Amino acid sequence: MNSSALVAIAVFAGALLSVFGVLYRMASTSHARGELAYEGIVILRWALLGQLAIFAILALTAFLT
Amino acid sequence: MAIFSHRAGAALTQSPIVERPTGLPRFTKGLLKWSFAIGVVPPVALVVGLAVRSLYVVDYVHVLTGASWTGFDIYTGVVLSRVMRSLEIPARVEISKRLTPTTFFIIPSLAAVAITSGIYLAQEMGKFNLGDPWILAAGGIVVVLTVQGFGVFLPNGVRIFLELAKVKPDPALISRLTMRNVRLAGSQAVFQVLIILVMAHLAVY
Repeated sequence: MNSSALVAIAVFAGALLSVFGVLYRMASTSHARGELAYEGIVILRWALLGQLAIFAILALTAFLT
Repeated sequence: MAIFSHRAGAALTQSPIVERPTGLPRFTKGLLKWSFAIGVVPPVALVVGLAVRSLYVVDYVHVLTGASWTGFDIYTGVVLSRVMRSLEIPARVEISKRLTPTTFFIIPSLAAVAITSGIYLAQEMGKFNLGDPWILAAGGIVVVLTVQGFGVFLPNGVRIFLELAKVKPDPALISRLTMRNVRLAGSQAVFQVLIILVMAHLAVY
């Protein structure tokens, strides 16, 4: 297992999660104010899941080297 | 793929909140699905290359993803930026509505796979020496590109989606965020031309 690669991918995924966390908070506030439709929140969740899926596949590579 | 198959009509029965109109175009989910389907290919190809222990396949994946990423940024920075500047704001917004979902998964995937496969290649070829100024230069450029990607490109893309999903989307904001990404692609292209210079040196010497 390539532990440094796994750590690097985890750091990238962590950065991604924190960016999405901030955006999710912004979106939730907008939604609570009635500015943002619920569909915006749904898209945000699927966008995050899609990015994490790509990172999960990439994390597999750390176990192959 | 079911992950983007949320239907507003179905959700209407679950939550009264969605009765409000949304600015998100119908084609957005289709473009996102397409982007995800293409975005999954590079990491899967890298997994296959490593699983069969083929340096040739890993090198191929690295060169193809790196070239596609660089090519996209050069095209965006040199060609698309000029086209966008010549358009009125409503036309820019229409392009953004289609460009943002289509590139949403593809570009981060190309970038992540190009970088990851590059590190594996350098390790496999015995060139991953952190005392080597060329490796340090490559690492420095990768850090800049990554910070731009995570810090600006991705958040801007998501903010464009959120703005489009608002009851009253702000076309000026969508246009501004899109133009910021287009201009940034131009600066990424410069860094990528530089990193290819470093790669060419590492490949030959």
